[in-house]
Amino acid sequence: MKGYCRYFGREATAQPLGFMTHFSILSLARNALSRHSGWQPTWRDAVPKDGYDVIIIGGGGHGLATAYYLAAVHGITNVAVLEKGWIGGGNAGRNTTIIRSNYLLPGNAPFYEWSMKLWEGLEQELNYNAMVSQRGVLNLVHSDAQRDAAARRGNGMRLHGVDAELLDVDGVRKLAPFLDFDQARFPIMGGLHQPRGGTARHDAVVWGFARGASDRGVDIVQNCEVRGFLRDATGTVVGVETSRGLIRAGKVGMAVAGNSSRIAALADLRLPIESHVLQAFVSEGLKPVIPGVITFGAGHFYISQSDKGGLVFGGDIDGYNSYAQRGNLPVVEDVCEGGMAVMPMIGRVRLLRSWGGIMDMSMDGSPIIDRTPIDGLYLNAGWCYGGFKATPASGRCFAHLLATDRAHETAAAYRLDRFRTGHLIDEKGQGAQPNLH
Amino acid sequence: MADLLVEQLSGFGLATIMARKGVSGMAIGMALGVEAPAQPAFCRGENNLALIGTGAGSWFAHTDMVSPAWHTALRDRLAELASVSDQSDGYMLIRLSGEDARTVLQRGAAIDFHPEVFAPGAAATTVIAHIGVVIWRRDDDARGRPKYEIATFRSYFDSFRRWLDHTAAAL
Amino acid sequence: MRIDCPYCGERDAQEFVYRGDASLMRPESEDGMADYVYLRDNLAGPMTEHWYHAQGCRTWIAVTRDTTTHAMLGAIFARDGVR
Repeated sequence: MKGYCRYFGREATAQPLGFMTHFSILSLARNALSRHSGWQPTWRDAVPKDGYDVIIIGGGGHGLATAYYLAAVHGITNVAVLEKGWIGGGNAGRNTTIIRSNYLLPGNAPFYEWSMKLWEGLEQELNYNAMVSQRGVLNLVHSDAQRDAAARRGNGMRLHGVDAELLDVDGVRKLAPFLDFDQARFPIMGGLHQPRGGTARHDAVVWGFARGASDRGVDIVQNCEVRGFLRDATGTVVGVETSRGLIRAGKVGMAVAGNSSRIAALADLRLPIESHVLQAFVSEGLKPVIPGVITFGAGHFYISQSDKGGLVFGGDIDGYNSYAQRGNLPVVEDVCEGGMAVMPMIGRVRLLRSWGGIMDMSMDGSPIIDRTPIDGLYLNAGWCYGGFKATPASGRCFAHLLATDRAHETAAAYRLDRFRTGHLIDEKGQGAQPNLH
Repeated sequence: MADLLVEQLSGFGLATIMARKGVSGMAIGMALGVEAPAQPAFCRGENNLALIGTGAGSWFAHTDMVSPAWHTALRDRLAELASVSDQSDGYMLIRLSGEDARTVLQRGAAIDFHPEVFAPGAAATTVIAHIGVVIWRRDDDARGRPKYEIATFRSYFDSFRRWLDHTAAAL
Repeated sequence: MRIDCPYCGERDAQEFVYRGDASLMRPESEDGMADYVYLRDNLAGPMTEHWYHAQGCRTWIAVTRDTTTHAMLGAIFARDGVR
């Protein structure tokens, strides 16, 4: 009992702003003994004040991570996160939870690798179980040319200090013996493996960052839709008009991927972005069968298995502009064909749910973290369908930009003007055709 | 017992006709002595020649019995009016007839084959099992059963045939 | 999602290839080229866009569609209307 009291004393001094429970074996035991009636809300549902130093629009993973790092790293705590619906209800709750840093281009690789390193320390930093599971990401190759491309990518990764292994067929067979190796059309010839890649629990990431931010004084305001920008005589953004009234701000950051163009249009800004729908799927719960994340190389299909047992998988975006958060059947068929081609065993598995999320498809397939031509307005956008894995580094870099007015060194390439200047970061080499990235 | 007759056709002639800029279907029809339909349709005229609408300003010319000079004769008659390209070797033709023919087609193509919509003389360019097809409906046979003809690219024919065999087997 | 092709009639969107916003106009000079290539209105609501009926009549058409609901609001041959 003595240690018990000492524990609470220590918590109070370490986190003077906090009223949240610090998770530990002791708090678990205490709450278990009190029939779990003593848990406090994880974060504070705030009423908006008249003004803040910084307003973040968008209470998804990126917006909450930005607020957390503004407070935790830069000491800026007079911050509000404004969310139209409920936090984590957009793409943060619609992704397939994959984390990886297997990028080739110099503008991308250091950023995503830093994000991976932040994932690796995230749970300790936030004192929150985000279920980060480094179970490996395996990209299959089905031809000599693909193997060459995988070797090139793997070498590029290793030059950036990222772990990468080029596997031959036997190497793949050890990891995933159930694949259809000798398929006549797309035989599996090997794979590129990133052992440190894996999955993380999407909503726990949201709640963890929300708790960390809220605990440091950040106001998380839900059901607060931004409907316009408050501009002064020089055109500088000095606040936002919302469904809960005017809120003034020193700086306003947008983290609303999927809807970036709609919010930017409120400031008469056109973006190099199209919104597209990406579908994802989950099966009924099964015993453990898929060891890590596996991607098919001859079609667009990727799959992992959640801790609950469901197979979580997806494929291509539907390919047409959409804000509808639901897709159409041709892509369902295409994804399932990809799955059947690489692992026919899943043919008997029943699909539980499918859903759609709206992606900010940028013109080169890479994101934007930059100031805008409008003073006081900052942009975090264009995550295409790779935003989840970027959550920690995106928040960290956007916080750095908002706090210092300078790009963080790992996100220096994610400029808004790179399209005009020709400094594109086009991993897939598709050009300005967002539905092909 | 399913009522389906599958015939692989031979001896036919098939050519694409693409109207030159500003040339109407009417002018092309006049030159060939057969109606050039402005919509997807199968129109049969004299001399065993039919035109099948495949797009705005484009048609398939089709004959059941081809002669060596068939497509050059077409080209001569459409000089200055349209581009003609012989496709007789590029496509395979299959005829589906019988009471169950419509059911088979309906399981492959996402268009309506109800007789009120797809009557004799109707045509459509679409896909079956991801394979491009042009389908038209000929006059019913003597017993009033429907008769469809399907053109597929020769190189896709084996794949198409696999779809057809599986689908017909499930009748 | 089914598109009412002005030539073929109503077809599944799978038969079409998507090109995007039909309102973009190629600029006369080089000045507006970067905006033309890279910037989009990305409308939420009715939007007119180019689709190519690759597996049908092989014609470019201009489809007006609500991007928030996928409701089809009309289609014409691209050459007859918006460029």
